[in-house]
Amino acid sequence: MATSARTETTPQHVGRPVLQAVGICHRYGDRVILQDVSLVVEPGERVALTGENGAGKSTLMSICARLLTPDAGTLRIEGRVGYCPQIPGLHELLTADEHLALFSPALGLTRDEGVRRGRQLLSEFGFPVGERSQVRHLSGGSQQKLNLALALLGGARLLLLDEPYQGFDHGSYMNFWDHVARWSEQGIAVVVVTHMLQDLDLVDRVVELGARA
Amino acid sequence: MRRHWLMHILLPAEMAARELVRRGTALGLLTVLPLAFYFSSRSNSSYAPVLGGIAMAFSVSGASIFCALTSRRLDSRLVLAGYRPRELLLGRLLLLEALGFMVALVFAGVIELGSNPASPLELIGGVFLVTACAVPFGLAVGALVPNELESVLILIGVVGVELTLQTSNIVDRFMPWWGAQRLLEQAGDGRGDTVVPILICVAYAVGLFGLAVLAVNRRYATVR
Repeated sequence: MATSARTETTPQHVGRPVLQAVGICHRYGDRVILQDVSLVVEPGERVALTGENGAGKSTLMSICARLLTPDAGTLRIEGRVGYCPQIPGLHELLTADEHLALFSPALGLTRDEGVRRGRQLLSEFGFPVGERSQVRHLSGGSQQKLNLALALLGGARLLLLDEPYQGFDHGSYMNFWDHVARWSEQGIAVVVVTHMLQDLDLVDRVVELGARA
Repeated sequence: MRRHWLMHILLPAEMAARELVRRGTALGLLTVLPLAFYFSSRSNSSYAPVLGGIAMAFSVSGASIFCALTSRRLDSRLVLAGYRPRELLLGRLLLLEALGFMVALVFAGVIELGSNPASPLELIGGVFLVTACAVPFGLAVGALVPNELESVLILIGVVGVELTLQTSNIVDRFMPWWGAQRLLEQAGDGRGDTVVPILICVAYAVGLFGLAVLAVNRRYATVR
């Protein structure tokens, strides 16, 4: 649950959830993936989304990011969404800086500003900043850190992170959860898809999606 | 405001250019393929420029399809960040057209030297029209068709049919590169109408790009 400290940092959101997904239904062909699923997230709230394989966690995240239209249900989002998908889908022949530059104008940042901010985020995650390697030459963990930094670059009010720490070493993993706590204190709501039981103590609420019918 | 709008088009174009430049082999093949078609059919001198032109349609459309499909996953995040789908598409169109025109220039120079056509202007017009239509064709296929295999098969199908159809066949008039093909044929003897083929090819290019814009707008309708 959101604390009073959090609501102070985001007075415009008092009583207004950043995410309201109500009665979401989705199917792929004949397969029902989501049936009347609701997810409401308050500013600064940390939510873990769990469930078996095929329960529809990633589908729900795509719907909440408005990248997938649900078959039924309503979706209401306050402010900018930062979305970190399970599969990064980065351009293999571009460098990290080039990715940051590409995202910058869309987020209202100048190229230099975007790269500077992005590098700062990356350095916080222990990414080898300044390295001119193309993405294809980066390790899986480093690619994932870039994936995460791109989601954070625009100053989102809601972060949708789909298993964001795949490939992270233990230090980076712990560092990630420290950041989640910090974002939460800043009033940023965080929804994390996870399979790891130890993560569940680090969030305010756990939402479990049922197994597919 | 204007600068902001321009950056939304030029930055995706710049990044697509950086990616293409780093694909040295692909860039080489893009140029070599039309030349290989041209030189292998030079004994039939009147038809060699047409075959080379069609091969250029293959390579430039193929590059455009690849560019559209490999960008798709990141595009959704770029649109979520604030790009308009048409801006991403327009950036790639500009980059690929520029690249295609460079290939066309090399190709036109080789044909000019190798075949000495009666009307060099029609030759240049023909090869440029091939590119003008090939890029939007590739972008439209890349936007409409979900996977690489299907996209490439459509490209092979359309270009292959165009290659085998006689110009007298009525169906040929409805193919994307009919106008360009006519100009390349006419370059040999310098006779024939040029306005109608140009108009048809330009109309095709505009229509195909419009189709691509509609497809990406529809895909990202919920984000916008």
